[in-house]
Amino acid sequence: MNTLELIEPETRALNGKNIIRFPYGLLGFERVKNYVLLSRRHEEPFSWLQMLDEARHAFLVVSPFLVLGEYEPRITEEDVKFLELTVPTDALLVNIVTLRGNGRATINLKGPVVINRLTMVGKQIIPDNATQYSLNHPLPVT
Amino acid sequence: MLILSRKRGESIVIDGRILVKVAWLDGDLVKLGIEAPSTAPVHRQEVYVEIQSFNQEAMTDTKVRLPRLTASTVALPISKGGHPSAESLTSRRV
Repeated sequence: MNTLELIEPETRALNGKNIIRFPYGLLGFERVKNYVLLSRRHEEPFSWLQMLDEARHAFLVVSPFLVLGEYEPRITEEDVKFLELTVPTDALLVNIVTLRGNGRATINLKGPVVINRLTMVGKQIIPDNATQYSLNHPLPVT
Repeated sequence: MLILSRKRGESIVIDGRILVKVAWLDGDLVKLGIEAPSTAPVHRQEVYVEIQSFNQEAMTDTKVRLPRLTASTVALPISKGGHPSAESLTSRRV
C-alpha cells in the first residue's frame, strides 16, 4: 500500500490503488464509501483518512499502539470474515483522533478502523471488548 | 413502533432474513439471539450512536494545524502484536 506524500490534497494525482473502500462507510457517514489514506512527512505520526470525493473532509488518524502499547481490540468473527483477514499482519489498524482545541486531542479506542491492506477494504468495527475502551482517550500532545 | 409479545425461546423474523430470538430472561435483563446476514450489521444501539456522534465531531479539514505527540509517547514501539502501524505498512514514494 502506498500513502501519498502530499503537497496539497487538492492538487494530488490520485492513483487508483490508494483508494480504500468502506462498503459500510464509517458510522454516521454510511453513504461515503471511498477514502484515501494520506500521510505528510511534517505531520507524522498522524495520517488522514480523507473522503475521496470531498477533498476537504477527513478524519485524523493515528496508530493506537503509539498511545496504548497494550491495545488489543477483539475483532469479531464476522468482521474477520467480512474483511477477509487471514493473518494479523493483513490488517492495518488506525483510530480516529479529535482535536479539542487548546492543544488537546483525544483518540477513539472504542471504534477502530481496520483496513485489509491487501484488498484495500476497510471497516470501522466495534470490537467484542469495546466497553473496556474509551471513546475519548486523551492523547498526550504538546 | 410495533410491539410484539414473545415468550422465552420464541422468535421474530424481519424481512425474511433476520431472526431475533428471546434467548434468556432474568428480571429486567433480556438476552437476544440474532441471526442476520453479513450485509446487515448488528450493534448495541448506545455504542453505535456514541461512535456515530464521535465521528461527526471528529470530521475535520486537512488544513488544520496538528499538535505534536509528546516525545515519551512517540518512543513507544510503533507496532505490537502483529498489528503493524500505518507507518510500518506504507511504503513512501520519494
